[in-house]
Amino acid sequence: MPTIILLDVSLSMTKPIETTENFETSPKQLAVLGINAFLDHVSANTKLEFISLMAFSSLYEEKSPFTRDYNAIKATLQNIDDYDKTCLETALHGVNQMVLGEWGNNTACQVVLVTDGSVGIGPMSLKESLTNLIHRSPNNPFPVPFSFPAKLHVVCLAHPNDMCLQRSKPLYQKLIDLSGYDGSISVPEQLNEVGVTSLFHKLAEDIYTSFKGTLKCGNLKSRIMLYPAPVHYTKVTDFDCQTYMVSETIDILGFISVNDIGSPMAVSRHLVLHGVQNIKDPMSMETEIDLTIDEDTNDESKTPSFCVLLHGALKVENMAALVSLGDNWFGFIYSWADTKKKSNLMLTLLVPGSDSVPWLGDLNYLGCTEQFEQCSSFPIRPSEKRSYSQNGVVWIRSAGLQSDIQKILRHARKLPEKTQQFYKELNRLRKAAISLGFLELLLALATIFEQECLSLPGNVHPDCAVQLHHAAEVLKKTQNQDAKFVITPYVANYNNL
Amino acid sequence: MSLNTISLSKMYPANHKTVFVLDHTPYFGISCENPIEFEFLKSRGPGCLPIPPFSKSLWTASFESAIEYCRIVWDLFPQGKLVRFIASDNLAHLINTWSPSQQHLGHITSMMSLIGVPPPVHASNTKMDYTVLHGMKAAIDALSEITDMQQEKMNSEGQTKLMNRCRVICITSARDDESMKRLEEIFLNGLVQQNKANAKSDRFLVIDHCHLVIINTFPVNVESQVSNHPPKNLSLILTTEVHSVKASMVPNKLSSLILQHYDLASTTVTGIPMKEEQNASSSANYDVEIYHTSTAHTAILKGNASDSAAIQTQKENHEYQTVTLKWCTPRGTTGSELHNCTSMYRITPVDVNSRPSLCLINFLLNGRSVMLEMPRKSGGKITSHLLAAHGGEIFIHTLCTARSVLEDPPSISEGCGGRVTDYRITDFGLLMKQNTLLPLKSNYLEKNVTPVAEMKSRLNRLTRYWPLTISSTLIFNLKMYIDPLPSIITKETITEEEVYQCKQIIRNLINLENKHEPLHPLNSGQRVKGQKRDEQYRTMWNELDMLIKNNLHTENHKSVHMCLLECHSFKDEKVELDDALRELDQIGPKKSEIDTQRASVIRATTDSPMSPPPLASIAVSLTSRSTGIYATPRSLLDIMNSQDKSKARPEFFGRSGDSLVAKLYPNLKTENDRGPRTEGMEVE
Repeated sequence: MPTIILLDVSLSMTKPIETTENFETSPKQLAVLGINAFLDHVSANTKLEFISLMAFSSLYEEKSPFTRDYNAIKATLQNIDDYDKTCLETALHGVNQMVLGEWGNNTACQVVLVTDGSVGIGPMSLKESLTNLIHRSPNNPFPVPFSFPAKLHVVCLAHPNDMCLQRSKPLYQKLIDLSGYDGSISVPEQLNEVGVTSLFHKLAEDIYTSFKGTLKCGNLKSRIMLYPAPVHYTKVTDFDCQTYMVSETIDILGFISVNDIGSPMAVSRHLVLHGVQNIKDPMSMETEIDLTIDEDTNDESKTPSFCVLLHGALKVENMAALVSLGDNWFGFIYSWADTKKKSNLMLTLLVPGSDSVPWLGDLNYLGCTEQFEQCSSFPIRPSEKRSYSQNGVVWIRSAGLQSDIQKILRHARKLPEKTQQFYKELNRLRKAAISLGFLELLLALATIFEQECLSLPGNVHPDCAVQLHHAAEVLKKTQNQDAKFVITPYVANYNNL
Repeated sequence: MSLNTISLSKMYPANHKTVFVLDHTPYFGISCENPIEFEFLKSRGPGCLPIPPFSKSLWTASFESAIEYCRIVWDLFPQGKLVRFIASDNLAHLINTWSPSQQHLGHITSMMSLIGVPPPVHASNTKMDYTVLHGMKAAIDALSEITDMQQEKMNSEGQTKLMNRCRVICITSARDDESMKRLEEIFLNGLVQQNKANAKSDRFLVIDHCHLVIINTFPVNVESQVSNHPPKNLSLILTTEVHSVKASMVPNKLSSLILQHYDLASTTVTGIPMKEEQNASSSANYDVEIYHTSTAHTAILKGNASDSAAIQTQKENHEYQTVTLKWCTPRGTTGSELHNCTSMYRITPVDVNSRPSLCLINFLLNGRSVMLEMPRKSGGKITSHLLAAHGGEIFIHTLCTARSVLEDPPSISEGCGGRVTDYRITDFGLLMKQNTLLPLKSNYLEKNVTPVAEMKSRLNRLTRYWPLTISSTLIFNLKMYIDPLPSIITKETITEEEVYQCKQIIRNLINLENKHEPLHPLNSGQRVKGQKRDEQYRTMWNELDMLIKNNLHTENHKSVHMCLLECHSFKDEKVELDDALRELDQIGPKKSEIDTQRASVIRATTDSPMSPPPLASIAVSLTSRSTGIYATPRSLLDIMNSQDKSKARPEFFGRSGDSLVAKLYPNLKTENDRGPRTEGMEVE
């Protein structure tokens, strides 16, 4: 999960602190120390996490883009200037922009705010921002909840019973609540180097926990890890708001051809990796595998694994496995290739609920032909057609009306072969005009028909003129302005003419 | 508190209930004075008389705009977004109810044709009380009524209080600001009165908040005295806004309002190649505008500010912005892979009957999909969206354009089990096909176990005994001898006929054994040359026993097992010493429970420091269930393969043979034959 370290560089961060050992330092110095400790912990344990650094005061600045090169961040930390006052709202907008620009809006990220516990004063202070939340216009939204799933961790480098901190804590908590995901507020037990270092170590330990579970297909199973670890999902619909968690057991319910699945919306995607016993990050295996051909790794790679079998079969058959992730939450597991060569097992989490993919129908009501007698096929069609496949009438732009009239006239010239189509189109137009109360159109159409009679070329069938004249007469009669009335062709006996 | 406010407005949106109040008074019968001209009539010869100019009435203009609003809503939200129509003249005409059966355009237009045009302005009519207020009153009543969804929510216990938020859109014509203000006040008054009554009733809901949108309209050649006013809170329960527009601009006004009301956005697909109507050989590029939920744009608009500014333009004659994305001619079928879609919404074309719209729609409905490209300021472009139809509905999918955290992932072949090359992929593919999910007809809806739960137990049953690799099984490589026994025995119930079939298979195998015919495994690459016939049979019987023992679902299943036990005698304890030694060699430490002393003898003789590698988890779970000494899921071949590493063994093998002639280095050949490359994993 990518992490943004948001470092307060306002003047208050430079105020001197006396530590217990009578040693003078500042929140800023402690922050730099702590972040270094955090990076050390990450590089020792989870090498491949992306981390970035942003500094803020009343403005914000991206100090280091998302990188796996933690030494670069450490180098940057040595050259951070001091600026004016704390203004968190602007910085949080910056966080939104930075993450959206880099990872888009559905990659879960961690935001680690490192500050001294003062939330600023005046109009742009956090207190002020939070009080006027309800009066925000759509053009000036508050940056939290973030535009991406985010866990906000606030680190306050202040004495635990600092007055300022006591006032700020509820505001930070409110910010975390607003974000919609579980975050944390941490304050060092002792405001000195030891206290800060252990705080950051613990934070790094807490936020990079991996997801371990079991993938099951009946009696076949594998221990798995998901990378990145999935976060919970809160689904807000009309009249409902529910939070869903991924359960530890992921059960395969059946299989569907990738072609039938389409490309439904995914809440997130995760690599399904084999659950390994050691706590090392699975991603780091990639670098080790070629370097150290140690006995254990070798044996493990030769022990048959259900995951590998599943992957192979899904890839060969171009199918995906429908899995249940928890209560009424579903996902798909399929073979995914980053490049042409490296293929992997991928888990896509669908939007929670059994109706998240309209064309697959209710996911709880799927079955195979051997087990259930009455199966239909994909895709499921809605009971009602949408307007674009209904040939409805829209005359808001006159071009729509004009093309409907021209169609009738085209049929008119080809009478009597097109008699049926001529009257069908005529009645369609007439019915629409009546329901819209557009009676002016009926009279105008009668006039157009009469004129058409006059300008007919000599080689057309006599029926043209007869039917056009007949239709014009019927259109003009007001008693026929009933929606149920249908204009029928004039039946002429040419032998008696 | 603020969190609640945000989620409440999201959970109880005003757009769940919308009432259109349409002015049907005699004034609306007058013309918009916006004559319709037809291009095709102009091109006619001079001999033709021009047709007298005609124009829509105010009624036609307002009603057609309102149903266009509905068309868009119901295309994008087939459920849960309800709209009612009320026409008001000397009384309120209720066109439809909140019932889903009356929430479609067909119902509304046919009901409207019964009401017809507004009543004419006659002297006799002046005494009648023609006003839009009747409709406003009826609208307040309608808003108090409980919809199906609200009822459902009220029935489910333990929920927070239901909020009844709604919207009224009134298209009318007022004389001046003063009379407009009066209209708003009367509405507020009615709302307050109604809420008092509602509070005492079970059948009606208190209206928590109403958004009243008044569109004041008039013929195009008239100047109105009514001025616009932006949304203002008249009270805690009522927000009102007034838009004063010429009749010809009502549709445009409603288009920009619908985007706000339903949080929609506009995308213009540009550069659609389309054949000319007149000249089929040439093609020109067209644009088609579509509406969809605005979050489809979030990813591209919030990212890079300069990129997003470049693709957004003001829509001509409208008050909103449209995002222009370029059509990208599809290459082949795009449905064959799962795209990384971060969002997906229904779309509807803005101009539903125009030729370019129809062309795009038909292209998509015929099963093809279109990628949309977004240009980048930094040069180059990026595929940001996918348009595709699924089951007759068209969707816009937002593709992930951002960087992936999954950069440089390891291949699955680098992980656990990645170097195993003889997985039973074909067999598992078959299992997948037998468990391919399909939608079920409605008669399963009443069952108390959902079909997918039934599928789960089905998969459980089918995998009771399922070796992962070809080398760990013999019977599944002897399909020509044992099929269809495995597929019968894993069924939930089996018929007498199927029992007979299974028994017949067992008897045939017995006959073959008696005739001393060797078994020929299907995967010839797997064939063990050195393997003795009787060993082969023994392994086969043990495995067959394992398969059937794990599938004793019914009495009939048990009778198959009985048959196996009767036909083939599993000589449990009465093994000859030599046999036992050999088996111990094959089975290894698994046999330890029988005779630890013997095992240690074997150990000493073979001098093998290596135990066979730990069994896969599945195999362990199976062994623990079984009781017999032969009941191991590991086949002979499996064990032999695992012993390949032990170089000290061949001489022991020779000594243990029951004949005096022993083949030297029997495993050598095996090693070469191993590795069914043709069946191998396709993972790299």
